[in-house]
Amino acid sequence: MSAQPTAERGARSRLMEVVLLYAGCALGALVISGLIVEAVGADWSTVGGALLNGSVLKPGRWGGTIGVTIPLAMVAIGTIISTKVGLVNIGQEGQLLVGAAFATYFSTRVPGPGPFVLIVVLAAGVVGGALWSGLAGGLRYWRKVPEVLTTLLLVSVASNLVGYGLKHHWLLLDAEAKLGNRNLVSEQLPPDTRLPRITMWGNDFPISAVLAVCLVLLVGWMLSRTLWGYRLTVVGHNRKVARRFGISESAQGMIAMLASGGFAGLAGAFMLTGGDFANYRMVSGFSVSIGWVGLLVALVANNRALAVIPMAFVFASLRTGSGFLASTGIERRVTDVVQGLIVLALLLPPAIMFIGERRRALAAARSRV
Amino acid sequence: MKMLIGLVVPDSGSIFVDGASVRIADPVAAASLGIGMVHQHFSLVEALTVWENVALGDSGRLSQTGVRNAVGELSERYGLRIDPDARVADLPVGLRQRVEILKCLRREPDILIFDEPTSVLTPEESEDLFHSLRGVVEQEGRSVALVSHKLTEMLEVTDRVTIMRNGLVVDRYMTADADAGMLARAMVGRDVRLRSTEVSEAIPDMHAGDDGATPGVDGPVLEFRKIEVREPGGSMELDDLTFSLKPGEILGLAGVEGNGQRVIADLLSGLRRPSSGEILVDGVEVDVSQAGAALRAGIAVIPEDRHDSGIVLEMSVAENLMLSDQSGMATRGIINGAALAVAASDLIDRFSIMCTGPDALMWTLSGGNQQRVVLAREITADPAVLVAAQPTRGLDVGAIEYMTDQLRRVARSGVGILLISSELDEILELADRIVVVFMGQVTGEMARSEANREKIGRLMGGDLL
Repeated sequence: MSAQPTAERGARSRLMEVVLLYAGCALGALVISGLIVEAVGADWSTVGGALLNGSVLKPGRWGGTIGVTIPLAMVAIGTIISTKVGLVNIGQEGQLLVGAAFATYFSTRVPGPGPFVLIVVLAAGVVGGALWSGLAGGLRYWRKVPEVLTTLLLVSVASNLVGYGLKHHWLLLDAEAKLGNRNLVSEQLPPDTRLPRITMWGNDFPISAVLAVCLVLLVGWMLSRTLWGYRLTVVGHNRKVARRFGISESAQGMIAMLASGGFAGLAGAFMLTGGDFANYRMVSGFSVSIGWVGLLVALVANNRALAVIPMAFVFASLRTGSGFLASTGIERRVTDVVQGLIVLALLLPPAIMFIGERRRALAAARSRV
Repeated sequence: MKMLIGLVVPDSGSIFVDGASVRIADPVAAASLGIGMVHQHFSLVEALTVWENVALGDSGRLSQTGVRNAVGELSERYGLRIDPDARVADLPVGLRQRVEILKCLRREPDILIFDEPTSVLTPEESEDLFHSLRGVVEQEGRSVALVSHKLTEMLEVTDRVTIMRNGLVVDRYMTADADAGMLARAMVGRDVRLRSTEVSEAIPDMHAGDDGATPGVDGPVLEFRKIEVREPGGSMELDDLTFSLKPGEILGLAGVEGNGQRVIADLLSGLRRPSSGEILVDGVEVDVSQAGAALRAGIAVIPEDRHDSGIVLEMSVAENLMLSDQSGMATRGIINGAALAVAASDLIDRFSIMCTGPDALMWTLSGGNQQRVVLAREITADPAVLVAAQPTRGLDVGAIEYMTDQLRRVARSGVGILLISSELDEILELADRIVVVFMGQVTGEMARSEANREKIGRLMGGDLL
């Protein structure tokens, strides 16, 4: 009788502690952000208001935030797949760019009805991203080159290649644009190959939002409930056991790597066809750090698929909200600092809990001596 | 033990060193009191050399020659021969323990604690170790505490014995007054059949089982033909190794640790590939370099180091149990969670695995129960061959009894068992036939009835029959 309530109370006080810790860290992040904002000579409340207005509150804003959430979630879910198998793919920015470039290339060259072209374009994005991560995966399993290095370095290769493509008509450059024109852009997507937009309460966002949620849920389910996810996990934790029980490390690793890059490529194709970025065109600097931020989303989601959606939305809000900062007259880069502080605020509590637990055990032991 | 070296602090009670009550709050305090410990699980840095490992924890300038000379001098004095420049990763378990012992001895402790030191040593190595421990006690006046569950060891080398069960001292003897039966009864709290008495009983029983289980099957179930394995560096790990295993037979593979046993187990687990030669299961050649090929051919393995290649610690008991039959637990690639839970619960009951349920994560289980998960999975995979590598290492008397019973039962059902063990007692007790390996070669082969300690000992040392 007596043990049950005690255990329950213990669990409840532990939960309280966790909640307080997260709240404390979030508060700390807010205070430090506030101080930094004050230091650059702006008023904290106007900045906070601008961020909130810009991301969700003002009419039509949360639709735009959802538009940014979509590619972030895609990059993050891809990252989770490669992490599960024990690989470190940090080249999503490049995979996204190559995916977007592939999508752009096919968008104006494939004949046929709009919806068909749209599907081809999205598929091309997946293929492009998968190709780029596949390069790193191939090097990893055939030549033992660490994928941490190759994925990262291939980002620069990708951005230079795309830059090259944007200078040449036969690749990506808009046929109308003249060489020497300072705006190197691709031809705009014809209206019927763009993703339809859903309008809701004065906000609108591309239907890829629905697709993205479905994909995140599907991947989460597949990782935990299918043989594919099971084998991926076994390889990620113990390669020798995997090998003995007939699970090929290189096959699973390659599949995970291709899927991971494929999702980054899809993110790029969604950005191109969705309309929230660069007005349905490929431009230089198209990826606007979505690949990097997506990595952060996966990090704070702690590799849980379900946490990806809210986390992606939070990071998207910061980005769209920062657009409104211009009106307050302060540097919009401040949001980068805030973003970093949020990442810290979400990553610190688990670390603090771990250290606290050890220290408590030690202190308890000391007091007994 | 953890209290003595300051990892755990007692809730109440006192510890006395040299008659004075002491507080041991952390390992540093323990070291300053002159308490040193050799753990059962080593704390060595594999990438470093022997002398570098011995020097770990030193402060100030590192003198390579100084440490290396100290290692040489210590290994000379205590008869623990070792090359100070060898990389620990390249050493077999027995030699790694030497490094651990040298590390401890160099700090000149007054009190030495050994946790299961012989679990990784050969009989000769154990004897050497105990010989040098005697010297430490008699000539240098140090005290040695030996923690072990091997009765013979206790009876042969100790002066006094304290028996503990579930954290309580159940008995104390002067060793001279004790015998194996008394110790065993006190340890398990019930009568266990002792190994030495069982050997004689087991032989006729096993041969009867052998004849009955395999009518009409003459061919070997597992065959090694001229297997060679070369190390990446070029030296030979297995050299022209040939042996065969019949269905229903327990073949004991005896040898000093590090003479190719691990490579044989790795080959049969599909973790390494032979440079030349053939491995046949039921007369059909198996390409073990293909992932899972050995498993599909019907080779089950209880690995020497289960954390390394037997289980996935971060996954659940049920997920570990389904490794050998992954597709059987899924329809169209979707894991059938309910069926898996039922199957796992059934195995948990049948093999009396102590855990909170099929969803318990593997690392929450004790070593003995992890071993039962491995056993349950490998036996129920319906194998033709079961490779048991050091199956009772680190287990207590009750668990050893359980394991040996299970192995006998499996053999009686017609499975060929390859028992790889560095414990001669275990081999003499269980095996029908014994193969001795030395430097990756077979130096002798005999039926159990022709075997005796001296003969096997000579072969283990490299003498050819």
